[in-house]
Amino acid sequence: MLETLGLMGAGFINALTPINLLMMAAGVALGIIIGCMPGLSAAMGVALMLPLTFTMKAETGLIVLGAIYCGAIFGGSISAILIHTPGTPASAATAIEGYQMTLQGKAGKALFTACYSSFWGGLLSCISLYFFAPLLAQLTLKFRSAEYFWLSIFGLTIIAGVSGKSIVKGLISGALGLLISTIGLDPVTGAKRVMFGQAYFAEGINTTCALIGLFSMSQVFILAEKKIKERAQATKFSDKMSLTRDERKMIRPTILRSWVIGNIIGLLPGAGAAIACFLGYNTSKSFSKHKEQFGRGSIEGVAGSEAANNAVTGGSLIPTLTLGIPGESVTAVLMGGLVIQGLAPGPELFGKYAPMTYTFFAGFVLVQFFMLGIGLLGCRGFAQISRLSDAILIPCVTVLCCVGSYAIHKNILDIVVMMAFGVLGYFMRKLDLNTAAVVLALILGPIGEKGLRNALKSSGGDPMILFSSVVCWVLIALCIVGILSPMFMSKLEKKAEKEAISGTGEDIEQLTEEDSV
Amino acid sequence: MKKFLALMLALCMVFALCACGGGGAAKTSGGPFAPDGPVTLIVAYKAGSGTDGPARILAQYAEKYIGQTVVVENVPGGSGSIGWSQLAASDPDGMTIGVMNLPNFNTTITEELGTYTTADFKAICNHVTETSIVIVRADDDRFPDLNTLVEYGKAHPGELRASTNGNHASNHLGAQLFAKSAGFSYIDIPQGGTADQLLSLRNKESDFTVVKLGDISGQESAYKVLGIFALERDERFPDVPTLAELGYYDKWVGASRAIVAPAGVSDEVISFYEDALKKTMEDPDYIAAAASFDTNFLDHEATAALIEEQQAAAEAQTDEFWSFD
Repeated sequence: MLETLGLMGAGFINALTPINLLMMAAGVALGIIIGCMPGLSAAMGVALMLPLTFTMKAETGLIVLGAIYCGAIFGGSISAILIHTPGTPASAATAIEGYQMTLQGKAGKALFTACYSSFWGGLLSCISLYFFAPLLAQLTLKFRSAEYFWLSIFGLTIIAGVSGKSIVKGLISGALGLLISTIGLDPVTGAKRVMFGQAYFAEGINTTCALIGLFSMSQVFILAEKKIKERAQATKFSDKMSLTRDERKMIRPTILRSWVIGNIIGLLPGAGAAIACFLGYNTSKSFSKHKEQFGRGSIEGVAGSEAANNAVTGGSLIPTLTLGIPGESVTAVLMGGLVIQGLAPGPELFGKYAPMTYTFFAGFVLVQFFMLGIGLLGCRGFAQISRLSDAILIPCVTVLCCVGSYAIHKNILDIVVMMAFGVLGYFMRKLDLNTAAVVLALILGPIGEKGLRNALKSSGGDPMILFSSVVCWVLIALCIVGILSPMFMSKLEKKAEKEAISGTGEDIEQLTEEDSV
Repeated sequence: MKKFLALMLALCMVFALCACGGGGAAKTSGGPFAPDGPVTLIVAYKAGSGTDGPARILAQYAEKYIGQTVVVENVPGGSGSIGWSQLAASDPDGMTIGVMNLPNFNTTITEELGTYTTADFKAICNHVTETSIVIVRADDDRFPDLNTLVEYGKAHPGELRASTNGNHASNHLGAQLFAKSAGFSYIDIPQGGTADQLLSLRNKESDFTVVKLGDISGQESAYKVLGIFALERDERFPDVPTLAELGYYDKWVGASRAIVAPAGVSDEVISFYEDALKKTMEDPDYIAAAASFDTNFLDHEATAALIEEQQAAAEAQTDEFWSFD
């Protein structure tokens, strides 16, 4: 215990180096910029910036990615409030009350509420990260091949979750990802599978290239196809960005409720910030003493949505760091960063690599403060950015995609693979298939295959080994929950959306579907 | 604002390009060789890997004797074959050398991952030698010594399980040589990496396993070392018998990392680096920095012989060798 406290303290000291602080500030600012530009999602932003972290120290790299993640989730609220277009799906519910406040000339107040609630949501989620992550990591020491098999199956139920709208399309996407994950040397016998005689494919498809292609490059194609369109004019606002003491007191219980909701949603595979914001918003509405303000610019509504979506960040890092099962698509990308730094999710992160891990945690806590500061000071500037022309955006993102995938191994073939996945991602989106499901299947496929085959090998082919431990049965139960949860979740989400819409008469459904990545 | 943004994005890209790094120099030859620019040391595994760390320490201390900056270039992929292909195809001007992992290098040839042969490289010297050991869990009372493990294996055919670091990988080879020479059979559980391999032993999925001596440093208390694949006992484990003295496999087994150059380099280049690296490995500062791994200098002739010996051994490992039927 004392040792852990020491590690936590040392983490803060390590995180406070000038370079780390600089990177936090830059990461948060970049994240907010990405977040407030409609069309660029948090997952895409993190994927794009991932290669820039290769040359950094592991903890610094992870802190930058965490900063972009938090910044982007908050940044989405700026355009949601000012131009009624959520910058990321995670802020869809914020648009409801936030834009009403803007129309009443209270945009400053709305932005302050968003920033303040995001800060508390994120900060509180760090508590659960500190508390639960090491516990879960200890558990993985008990994991053998059979448990890893079930773990990957559990992770694959995420596919049903992230697909949301159509389970069949989610499963098609997942199957495609699993198929692609078989490329390379067979993990058990060493046979060459679908390698076309190229040693390049021996270690399989590079996940990072695949996700840069699927998340970022495909978005470029989509943007380019839409041609260069004019974005809505951001409203200039003149009121002061602040809340009175009474108002802050009023949103305090809302923030606490949204923290719990966001955290649980983050932990659950398949449910991400987009769902959390609606649940947070609705809960704030049902518990509010001022229900009449909802739909007419309620600060509680903004707080409920924004605290919940930022509370997801810390929550979804827990399964990512401990089990290697990302809680949502952004953390799937973050995990790519972890692996490239030579770190594998699991107990070693809290043993051998504990100093690094606790530095990252401390950085994640500090990032929340940067988010508060930069958010409050820079809001007016960031509001202008949401108007940035696609003509600038498209070439910049394309260059970053190419440079990023080349930087991993300095192999030109990686750019080819990235482009191929970009094209694949474009067509998948056109067909309403799910690119995040492909990435998850690419990560989980090899874990599951190795687990199943090694488990059967060690038991001499007896399948009962798959049901031989308590952990196995717990995971099987979680799989069943995982399969059933999306149906439950989509019902919950639809209900929440419906209630939200019926309160305002505004059609925001289209906003939530715009970018499911 | 727009201009400012465009500038920021442009800056991002500059950083991204910087991340790619680079470097290299050409040179003409004549007379005794000395590099006239930064020397590239190709490592066929990613930065931070088990091969990368010792190579970087060598590169750092070698600069004093080479007289130039030594840039470690990580070219991972294809189980190492991408890096070794690039090394084989480099200009033989003495500006590019590389690390060759034995026996992984030999396996890429027998598994037809690389298009090169041993003839495409010229040995400079050996850098690191790691000896294989047989280990069990420290609290496993069934196996106080190697003989009881063998007896158990013979009495319960096909019941013992051993995790390996991959199919036909170095530690699988060790386990196979041990079992074949002792006359028992076991089930191999390929884990794809040494960390997972050890975890598999600790959580009782495996009964024994073969790793390198250095792999268990810092966690010796968790394991019991039953035997060592060497001709003599190791001074760190004086009580651990060699497999040879117990009457099992009687040759050295382990992994080596040699420093090699593309085949076309002149003899002057080889002797320049051989000399410089020998001095490096005798440098007290290097020895202090390299305490965590087993430095083992061999001259270019002995290293070349080692590469050929390992290649012949790899080619002798037919399907029959890898099975128990």
